[in-house]
Amino acid sequence: MKPLSLSWPTAILLTCGPAVSGEVNLTISPQVSYFPSHAEGTIEYGKSVELKLDAYHDFDAYRAELELIARADADDKGRRLVEARQAYMRRSFSNFDLYIGQRQTFWGKAESRNVVDVINQSDAAANQGSEAKLGAPSLSLDGYFDFGDLQLWYISRFRERTFNDGNGHPSSGLNVTTSLYERSEGKEADDIAARFSTFSGDWDFAVSGFQGTAREPLITPTQDSSALNATYMLQETIGFEAQFTGDPTLLKWESLHGTQSGAGFDAAVAGLEYTLYGAFGQVWDLGLIAEGQYDTRPQAAAERFYSAGLRLVLNDAKDTSFLALMSQDQKQEQSLIAFEASRRLNDWSSLELRSQFYDAKKSGLAFSGIADDDVISLTINMFF
Amino acid sequence: MKFLPLILIAGLTGLSLPSTAAASSEKGLEIATELDKRDTGFKDSTSTMVMVLSDQHGQSTQRAIRNRTLEGSSEGDLSLVIFDSPGDVRGTAFLSHTKKAGSDDQWLFLPALKRVKRIASSNKAGPFMGSEFAYEDISSQEVEKYTYNYLRDEKVNGLDCFLVEYDPVDRKSGYSRQLVWIDKKEYRLQKIEFYDRKNSLLKTLSYADYNKFLGKYWRADTLSMENHQTGKKTQLQFSDWAFQTGMTEKDFQKNALKRIK
Repeated sequence: MKPLSLSWPTAILLTCGPAVSGEVNLTISPQVSYFPSHAEGTIEYGKSVELKLDAYHDFDAYRAELELIARADADDKGRRLVEARQAYMRRSFSNFDLYIGQRQTFWGKAESRNVVDVINQSDAAANQGSEAKLGAPSLSLDGYFDFGDLQLWYISRFRERTFNDGNGHPSSGLNVTTSLYERSEGKEADDIAARFSTFSGDWDFAVSGFQGTAREPLITPTQDSSALNATYMLQETIGFEAQFTGDPTLLKWESLHGTQSGAGFDAAVAGLEYTLYGAFGQVWDLGLIAEGQYDTRPQAAAERFYSAGLRLVLNDAKDTSFLALMSQDQKQEQSLIAFEASRRLNDWSSLELRSQFYDAKKSGLAFSGIADDDVISLTINMFF
Repeated sequence: MKFLPLILIAGLTGLSLPSTAAASSEKGLEIATELDKRDTGFKDSTSTMVMVLSDQHGQSTQRAIRNRTLEGSSEGDLSLVIFDSPGDVRGTAFLSHTKKAGSDDQWLFLPALKRVKRIASSNKAGPFMGSEFAYEDISSQEVEKYTYNYLRDEKVNGLDCFLVEYDPVDRKSGYSRQLVWIDKKEYRLQKIEFYDRKNSLLKTLSYADYNKFLGKYWRADTLSMENHQTGKKTQLQFSDWAFQTGMTEKDFQKNALKRIK
């Protein structure tokens, strides 16, 4: 274990009880972005920096954990954020853990999209796909049994999605100014959720249920079309997940079924991943990824999307890897090409390149508004 | 069996011996079985490890890793590896349930996403963390994973050794064969030569700085792997060994990955 290197949070944590073990880590990630097809009046070069503080402290059967994010952006106000992704106390018992506070979890199996990952709201303005999340203020229980694992969640209030400002990317050019809720309690409405997961041989399964406010809002223009409304609807769902971990083919499935504002819907992702080891006569791994997405909700950019991609991992001392992914809707009217690369620079820093290119063949489509939001960004992560 | 790198073995189920060279096969199997037997009963162990990777130009880079191993009862060993550095993999954890036959079950915990990912274990010939150690070199070895052939006696590190050829059963192994030197007195691995699928010498692994724990379990603190085809080297330096710490199977379930620190 690394010795405690920063003094002030440690001092706070140490007051909680007898020191057993703990750690504090800091990550600083400056980022520069270029938006080659930016529209007039929107940002051409983005400059931002994100600070992440991770700390935990164990004492007896308790753990206090903190994951704080502070993000500053030169021009895009929507990206500015101070967030406790995690700030919880955990009490461990013999067969279960009880958490109180702000917490994150991950549900799902697929790569391109996780329709069953309903607990945490997306930090969409982080521009990391669906990977960046906000903490859920909650009381939760993780139970461990011979036959599988059970999670029970009570989420005490709603977290609104973060959005880029109208001058940022991706955005349709307008700011999201107002949140509207189907449930009368609005932001104060609580959610309940549960998930059971298990595995047998090469198969992993999970089933989950959720009742509460949908994380993904419907975005509509305000009456005078000067801004956007985000409408969050009531959702009651059952989720299913399955993965077959074959040799060397992985099959993945996740689906969400239920009602939103009383209307039935289905959403699913089915995927296949095949890895060629020792590709091109090197020690490289070449992964072939194919996924199909289906979603009948009005928030979806299209009912069907198909994605195909290649992941190349060089397995070198610098952990160099590349990912190229292309997604297209079933009518071939909207598409996204993404290219990512990452490489370690040294023991305390790494470099990430991300680029995304959107295309829409006509107006009125979900991608029409973001066709000028192509991005190439470079991030250095520095670890202390 | 410890997770890292000792080519060890557990339990012996009915293996049928080829009719040719039966005597040397039988002796090879006896040696491998004895080596395994002498390491049975340690229950669990923990250690820390510094991995030093050096390229052909002499430039080196380090990783810091913690290992936890639980001796398997009916199946192979359970092992957990936690990465402390470099920074970009800090907090990542790798769990493996070794199987005597068939593919091992493996999971990876990605701390940034809070995601536990089941991963395919078929990449046994691939490099572990960009090092000269392949996954199959560092995973727990079971008797059933090789056939054996005793070749002759030879001296290595000044010790009288058995020289045994290990032939991997799994055709996904990156090796056609391994030449393994085991000292006759304590049945400790002293040296391994790895031959690639074209039967050319690929790598040599040397063991040094053995210490005895609990009065009978030997562990080498220094393992040096040299790749003869690329000129690259990887050294593993172990420390902080502890045995019979009281870990149970619960500490090696996939849900434990989320709680690991």
